[in-house]
Amino acid sequence: MRAVAIGQAELKLFWRNRTALFNSLIVPLLVVPLLLSIDADGVPLVVGLTGFVLLMAVYYNLVTVFVARREELVLKRLRVGELTDPEVLFGAALPSMVVAIGQMVLFAVIIGVITGVAVPTKPWFPLLGVVGGTLLFALLAAASAAFTRTVEMAQVTSLPVLMACIIGSGLMVPLSVFPDEVQTVLRFLPLTPVLDLLRAGWHDGPVLQPVVVLAAWVAAGVYAVRRWFRWEPRR
Amino acid sequence: MTAIEVKDLTRRYSGGFEAVRGVSFEVERGEMFALLGTNGAGKTSTVEVVEGLTRPAEGTVRVLGHDPFLERKAVRPRVGVMLQEGGFPPDLTVSEATTMWAGTLTRPRPVAEALDLVDLGHRSAVRVKQLSGGERRRLDLALALLGQPEVLFLDEPTTGLDPESRRNTWQLIRTLLHEGTTVLLTTHYLEEAQELADRLAIMHRGRIVARGTVSEVVDAYPARITFTPPAGIALPVVADLDESGRATVRTNTLQETLHELLTWAHAQDVVLSGLDARSASLEEAFLAIAEEAA
Repeated sequence: MRAVAIGQAELKLFWRNRTALFNSLIVPLLVVPLLLSIDADGVPLVVGLTGFVLLMAVYYNLVTVFVARREELVLKRLRVGELTDPEVLFGAALPSMVVAIGQMVLFAVIIGVITGVAVPTKPWFPLLGVVGGTLLFALLAAASAAFTRTVEMAQVTSLPVLMACIIGSGLMVPLSVFPDEVQTVLRFLPLTPVLDLLRAGWHDGPVLQPVVVLAAWVAAGVYAVRRWFRWEPRR
Repeated sequence: MTAIEVKDLTRRYSGGFEAVRGVSFEVERGEMFALLGTNGAGKTSTVEVVEGLTRPAEGTVRVLGHDPFLERKAVRPRVGVMLQEGGFPPDLTVSEATTMWAGTLTRPRPVAEALDLVDLGHRSAVRVKQLSGGERRRLDLALALLGQPEVLFLDEPTTGLDPESRRNTWQLIRTLLHEGTTVLLTTHYLEEAQELADRLAIMHRGRIVARGTVSEVVDAYPARITFTPPAGIALPVVADLDESGRATVRTNTLQETLHELLTWAHAQDVVLSGLDARSASLEEAFLAIAEEAA
């Protein structure tokens, strides 16, 4: 895979970037006390932390990566090489995705040991949720980058997705506190189907709908990136 | 054999501005073709289409027989591109950036060899953000050469280079040409084109306004003799006098005109102070063309 060459360079840059390290590795941990105060049970903690890793380490971090590389003219330079467009984006996203998946696994194991959560009885649902969710939030990051002029602006342009997912996807408050009609709408947010699939590893719950919604979001993400992604700064 | 073929190329930007208006040229294998022009003439806009970064609004482009935009896969492994403005992650070192690029190529040179070609071997452990502008240009050239390209695109390759580095870069380009590489150059250093190019085209406002070998382009313009004669004396040749009393003679037969002038001066015992005689240079041709076209 030629994109791995980009990924290796991006991994070096990730370790050299303190802000990115903090946002990806530390920020998700800061919500642990908050999640504990809401619900001490193990599974929601695993699900909640995974959600925050997807939002911070994958989504927010990658918005800043894509914008930084575009403004540095790195993407333009890469685009005159042999790599295809998807390879360039995949290579740039690779380390963030790998680090995030490692974090999710690590958190799940630690919480599992401390709170005594059993190994999921249907592990393929959480697996699908993690892989699909990581891909989706990388795509959403690329789409958001198209509307972000500078790395600093990412703090603002990422807010709609971040806030919608934190409030509306059952991350901080269970969806059941909302009226039924609102719940139906919130099920279509990008993070909700991912969290539903994670829970489905342990509990019985709807599976078909989350898979369909997740697939639809991935398709929409691919379309948005093809349609709006910018490879060089605006003049 | 033709390496690059551009036919009636037009490029429009989203605002509707036509940066390139019906440009055609061909570059033969192993030849250097230079695109010259004032700032905003459409050189980079043209070259970006030939590189395959975008498709033309109208017209066709073929590089090594393929459409560089639609058949990117067939073209890219055989070409090397140095953009006018390309970037590298500032926190990578020179050798890390080069290694990354090498990992994306079909048949890369060794990283150390590529860096030595542009005299950057001793800077390989330095972060990109600490390089000078000229060093960054040379790193960009190293990456363009890394894939051992058959066709090389150089967009303003020596901007920001000190005179010595510029000479070294010219020498490197000559070696590449000698080895059979085809080069499409854009530059606003006319001396660079005069030194290196087999043929050239001068662009102005999106069109090619002159083309040919250096001497073909230059020969169309008169040579020039300048001097300051004693005040009030009648000259044997037609001359323009400026306010400071300096005379300029334009001629297509430099040797004869100069002979006539000097014979006259000798016979009259007249001193032509600050005497200067020169054939038209590319610079003069360029300035005259830009003026005519304006």
